[in-house]
Amino acid sequence: MKTQLVWRADVIFNMVFTITRIIFAYLLWEMVFQQKEMVGEFTFHGMMSYYIISSFLSQLEMSEGIGIEIHERIRNGTFSKYLVIPVGVEKYFMAMELGIVLFYVVFDFIAAMVWVFIFRIQFVFTADNGVIVCAVVMAVLGMVFMVQLNYFLGLLTLKYQGIGTFLMIKNNLMALITGTIIPLALFPEGIVKMMRLLPFYYVTYLPAMLLSGKCGEEAWMGLMAIGCWCLAMQFIIHGTWKKYLRKYDGVGI
Amino acid sequence: MKDIVIHTENLVKTYRRYKKEEGLYGSIASLWKRNYEEKTAVNRVDLSVREGEFIGLIGPNGAGKTTLIKMLTGIIAPTDGEIEVLGYYPNDLRNEFKKQYAVVMGQKSQLFFELTVNDTLRLFKEIYEISEQEFQRNKQYFMKLFGVEELMDVQVRTLSLGERMKMELIVSLLHNPRILFLDEPTIGLDAVAAKQIRSFLKEINEKKGTTILLTSHYMEDIQVLCQRTVVVNHGVKIYDGSTEELFDRYQKNKRIIVSFGKPMRKLLLETQDARLVEDTSYKKVYEVPKESARRLLAEMMKYEPGDIVVEEEEIGVIVERIYQEGSEYLG
Repeated sequence: MKTQLVWRADVIFNMVFTITRIIFAYLLWEMVFQQKEMVGEFTFHGMMSYYIISSFLSQLEMSEGIGIEIHERIRNGTFSKYLVIPVGVEKYFMAMELGIVLFYVVFDFIAAMVWVFIFRIQFVFTADNGVIVCAVVMAVLGMVFMVQLNYFLGLLTLKYQGIGTFLMIKNNLMALITGTIIPLALFPEGIVKMMRLLPFYYVTYLPAMLLSGKCGEEAWMGLMAIGCWCLAMQFIIHGTWKKYLRKYDGVGI
Repeated sequence: MKDIVIHTENLVKTYRRYKKEEGLYGSIASLWKRNYEEKTAVNRVDLSVREGEFIGLIGPNGAGKTTLIKMLTGIIAPTDGEIEVLGYYPNDLRNEFKKQYAVVMGQKSQLFFELTVNDTLRLFKEIYEISEQEFQRNKQYFMKLFGVEELMDVQVRTLSLGERMKMELIVSLLHNPRILFLDEPTIGLDAVAAKQIRSFLKEINEKKGTTILLTSHYMEDIQVLCQRTVVVNHGVKIYDGSTEELFDRYQKNKRIIVSFGKPMRKLLLETQDARLVEDTSYKKVYEVPKESARRLLAEMMKYEPGDIVVEEEEIGVIVERIYQEGSEYLG
């Protein structure tokens, strides 16, 4: 019963958080747009469309638990469970994440749509099919990258025992660079250029911008960039696994 | 002669342990200078196991039993020595190797607690790529053998310890492993559940020919199940041979616990070599040479006891006796 309640609460809160971010953005930007019609390249409805898409994508990114689970399992010795079954450990976590995302995508989509109607937002969405495909693939690769990153951070427990600092740095970078708080387009161009070098830029920010009809010229380059990051991260994971797995002691003699 | 499925030679595992002085000063000092000590958990162990054997691996706490199992299953890498299981180096963690063995650790569950038993079995079917026909055949066989038909649709987390252990065994046996590693499978179980588990293991070894390597603290597990026993202490193998011989040679006494329904004074016994080690009005505990146990039991029946339990000597006592009397492995 307790587990069922926790699970149901988890689903409901996930939907609620999609909503709260949109409400916050709505109140903030409504005040800002009372003074002027355009902020950066955004109209009020364009801005809200961006927030809805960005919020939807960032709610689907739930891979942080992977790093924490691996960390805890290495610390208490139950990571052995994944070493004795004939599946790749990374593939297992990737499949687990896919299952979670597919489940939540329905609820988060419903939540986003409800708020489009409640706030009577004239939803701005790109009409370019090529850009839509790029954005969707980029968002998927972005999530793959986040699973890889969290998996890698979890594996660092083999070497460092504690990974709290790494997770904190990652979370702070994520909060800033994924553009879920403020669209990066409102930052000075120099800063945006720097952010383009980091993978987080392509996780939710660029796909959300592309889907809301902006930054179309960045679509292909963005896809290439996040693809390269995924590839690079896979090499890093492979090296880390080979180098540090020998340090795993499974806890207990 | 059957094939050798496990072979180790001079196998060594040394752990590096971090040591810290107590208190805040120790914590701060350790930020600059860390001290480590080395602990050899397994020390030059040679072991050969033939297909179909049922081997007991016993030793006191910290003897290195679990470390040995962890090396044989590839969970940890050896520090030195040779190791080969089913022709593979275990720590390579090859999937084709992992499909041929199973491991059940009494204190660490392999199950997925959120899933129902049926879903768990289905998940393992996919993981081990078992055909639907074989899956159904094995599932029916084990469900009947373990008597768990009614538990198939409940969440794993809601199972009792005994039920969970049965599920651990079913899941581990679903893919017909050639070797089954069992690390304390009866730990924490009550006498009835432990007895059931023992009888299942015996059947699986006899009917399916599964090689089983069992570690246990309970001498009864070993005595009932294993033809051969390996005793380890401080990481060193101190006995490797027939279980019968081990008990004949090194187990001298039995412990007899007698409970009464009414208060009893001191009993006057004819069995002179029985030693009273615990004496309360309702319960008497005797330690008696095993050849006199039958006589003492017969004598006890005259007092109409409520319950009698006969226990084997603890593993620590046997290890101590092996040291006292010497063994070929002790040089």
